[in-house]
Amino acid sequence: MTSPISKAGTAPGAVDHSSLYPSPYKEFWQAFSRNKGAVAGLAFMLLVVFCALFAPWVAPHNPSEQYRDFLLTPPVWLEGGTWQFVLGTDELGRDLLSRLIQGARLSLLIGLSSVVMSLIPGILLGLFAGFFPRLLGPSIMRLMDVMLALPSLLLAVAIVAILGPGLINTVIAIAIVSLPSYVRLTRAAVMGELNRDYVTAARLAGAGLPRLMFVTVLPNCMAPLIVQATLSFSSAILDAAALGFLGLGVQPPTPEWGTMLASARDYIERAWWVVSLPGLTILLSVLAINLMGDGLRDALDPKLKNAA
Amino acid sequence: MTVVLSARELTRHYEVSRGLFKGHALVRALNGVTFELEAGKTLAVVGESGCGKSTLARALTLIEEPTSGSLQIAGLEVNGAGKQQRKQLRRDVQMVFQSPYASLNPRQKIGDQLAEPLLINTSLSKAERREKVQKMMEQVGLRPEHYQRYPHMFSGGQRQRIALARAMMLQPKVLVADEPTSALDVSIQAQVLNLFMDLQKEFNTAYVFISHNLAVVRHVADQVLVMYLGRPAEMGPKEDIYAKPLHPYTQALLSATPAVHPDPLKPKIRIVGELPNPLNPPEGCAFHKRCPYATERCGKEVPAFRQVGTRQVACHYAEQFL
Amino acid sequence: MSLLQIDNLNVRFGDANAVPVVDGLDLAVDAGEILAIVGESGSGKSVTMMALMGLIDAPGRITADTLRFAGTDMLKLSARQRRKVVGKDIAMVFQDPMTALNPSFTVGYQIEEVLRQHLGLKGKAARQRALELLQKVEIPAAESRLDAYPHQLSGGMSQRVAIAMAIAGEPKLLIADEPTTALDVTIQAQIMELLVNLQKERNMALILITHDLAVVAETARRVCVMYAGQAVEVGQVPELFEVPAHPYSEALLAAIPEHSIGAERLATLPGIVPGRYDRPQGCLLSPRCPYVQEHCRRQRPALDPKAHSLARCFYPLNQEVA
Repeated sequence: MTSPISKAGTAPGAVDHSSLYPSPYKEFWQAFSRNKGAVAGLAFMLLVVFCALFAPWVAPHNPSEQYRDFLLTPPVWLEGGTWQFVLGTDELGRDLLSRLIQGARLSLLIGLSSVVMSLIPGILLGLFAGFFPRLLGPSIMRLMDVMLALPSLLLAVAIVAILGPGLINTVIAIAIVSLPSYVRLTRAAVMGELNRDYVTAARLAGAGLPRLMFVTVLPNCMAPLIVQATLSFSSAILDAAALGFLGLGVQPPTPEWGTMLASARDYIERAWWVVSLPGLTILLSVLAINLMGDGLRDALDPKLKNAA
Repeated sequence: MTVVLSARELTRHYEVSRGLFKGHALVRALNGVTFELEAGKTLAVVGESGCGKSTLARALTLIEEPTSGSLQIAGLEVNGAGKQQRKQLRRDVQMVFQSPYASLNPRQKIGDQLAEPLLINTSLSKAERREKVQKMMEQVGLRPEHYQRYPHMFSGGQRQRIALARAMMLQPKVLVADEPTSALDVSIQAQVLNLFMDLQKEFNTAYVFISHNLAVVRHVADQVLVMYLGRPAEMGPKEDIYAKPLHPYTQALLSATPAVHPDPLKPKIRIVGELPNPLNPPEGCAFHKRCPYATERCGKEVPAFRQVGTRQVACHYAEQFL
Repeated sequence: MSLLQIDNLNVRFGDANAVPVVDGLDLAVDAGEILAIVGESGSGKSVTMMALMGLIDAPGRITADTLRFAGTDMLKLSARQRRKVVGKDIAMVFQDPMTALNPSFTVGYQIEEVLRQHLGLKGKAARQRALELLQKVEIPAAESRLDAYPHQLSGGMSQRVAIAMAIAGEPKLLIADEPTTALDVTIQAQIMELLVNLQKERNMALILITHDLAVVAETARRVCVMYAGQAVEVGQVPELFEVPAHPYSEALLAAIPEHSIGAERLATLPGIVPGRYDRPQGCLLSPRCPYVQEHCRRQRPALDPKAHSLARCFYPLNQEVA
């Protein structure tokens, strides 16, 4: 039979509709930039990341150097402030701005590493729980329920108490605490995707379990996970600050926002800036990340994509 | 002509939990379906929701194991096939789904989705795969530059072309199409149906075409299988079934289908009531409660699916309609 | 004077430069007539009705020269006044009966709610009226169904309940938006028959929105064909189906498999409906039209009287008067 295959779908002269769509990245940026708060959050975070990366060059002073002549100097806009210490000094005469900039390194490191350390096992456990709903799934989920039943900060305190205080143990504790939310989220997304026809189609094409898990299903579950990762990045910074405040986190004299807050609490009446500025920094960073997370959620929402 | 698909007494039952203390109920989703399909021919499966056509599709594509009965694909028995054999069998039956929006992976490029079956099942090089994909894309009316695009950039009709192309990549012996045009607009439906017919001619594929739209079935089918509540009601050549349906359910279906140019002479048969609950099907003939010709016998005795003339019918009184 | 008069209705989502979803629509419906609006997805047929009922929220913008229903200017009504009309004098039946009913309340409660709101009926009187309405829509064992929750009903039954709710306020105009698309063929026939019977009995006007031309042929007297937000042809039913003036109507009819019985291929209209990025400057059908002339690409035709109907085409078909 020599009848030509139908070309009806692309009749000559007809406009190719798919070429009219912007590229996925451009489309994402368009959706993201529509949210003004998210863009502001992104800008602030870029600033923080820049400070963290180039801390030794950005910071005006060595964060550990003690200027004994300038104990508890107020910030420049208050009476008695000097341009030498823009945000003032703490009880040991260390420059606050330099310490905050140096502290950004640690806070971001804690946030990033704890997110990675909980994201990867969380995704794996969630995938297994979703793909094996009979035996493995329920046991994983019950374990996560037990972890969720404990107050998260208490659990983190307990873990640090067992492992001992310090940077790495703080990260491990925060990672363990935020694990259940990733597992639940991944499993829910996997279960939703598994019922869709494209998974069956991949099965019919002969895809094995690893391929189904990581190539077919996982990329379609990433949107909520990315949002969750952003949001738990901020809660990791908060948790680290809380642990630091309790004296269980990073140990002084390492500049860390929570530890700075804790060690300065005695001076709150005499020199409010020593306490307030680290607190404000934490607040602003967390707010910025959360705003970014909202923007990400809007931009990655699959419902909006399907509208096309 | 070679028979490429043969089902014998194919049956699939599900156990459904009815609550804490009630024990399990048995749903006979598919009950004794038998047919043979030759290469290059189309069997249309017609019925309403709950008639078992989707279960049949899942059994034919080996997604689900039948509870009993035998299934042969290209002469190979599926029951008891080894792992390697099963892989081959799976290659031979591919599927096109109802919703073109759910059946394509939203995060995979079109080209990668089409190449996936080749990547898994053949040892072709990347360039060879690409060449095959490009050729298939041309055959279904897609442009080469569509290779790098994502599904959401395409309209429903184009997506169904992509889905069809993916199913045909391995040149299967049997293609199961589950309501492939019911989500599409009329003018797009016509384009896609034409494509189905063209590809069938090109590759001599056997189609199992599942649909509730009798007008579409009339266009594509060679054989028609009408199902009701998991059982076959009537099966035979398309011309015979459309000219003179023997089972009262087939008659009702044909009469209920609206037509653009209704035949004023044709009597309208309106059946009353709704589909019975599959958890609790009626005794005897499953259709007897809605059937205008039902007798006492129909409520007691399950009619056998028997040969009447050129076709098979499951009705005690099929001869009277001949 | 007609019951519903729409002149130059435009609906846009976004600012005044956005592509209109409904583009200069003129439509009139007389009391007691059945008008069908036919079109493919995205043709603006549902949005038109939403605009009429005031259900379009920002960023949607409605402009019209006239939007008059039973003598009242719908554009000037406040939200509160509109609520008195919509749901009572204009009622609507939706495509998916399963989502049109509130799953948390019983069927009886939901019907009584409408009666309370629009007729001021309370207590026993409301319940009695609700029961009558359920009987009116031919629900078996109506009394026991009053206390049923929507999930306990089948699709067909739910659609009957939705119809009962719609006619509870004794509407002058009933809008049915794809009322049978989600239902099985045999149930579809039952629901259409019910709608037509109710329409006759109460002398309501019925606007039937559908993509199924066969349903239109069997029920409506007048039909409006929509394409990309415009009415492209408005005419009487047998004429429009036999001698369509607009190429799009012709193509739509030709694409139905029923028209190609025995033919190898279905007639198709190439391409797809123009989207927001590629709206043509001239006639909206010009990129797909087989009869296109240079003139069509530059200018948009108006909806003008032709031999048998109103059509939006410079070179209408079938113009020789018999």
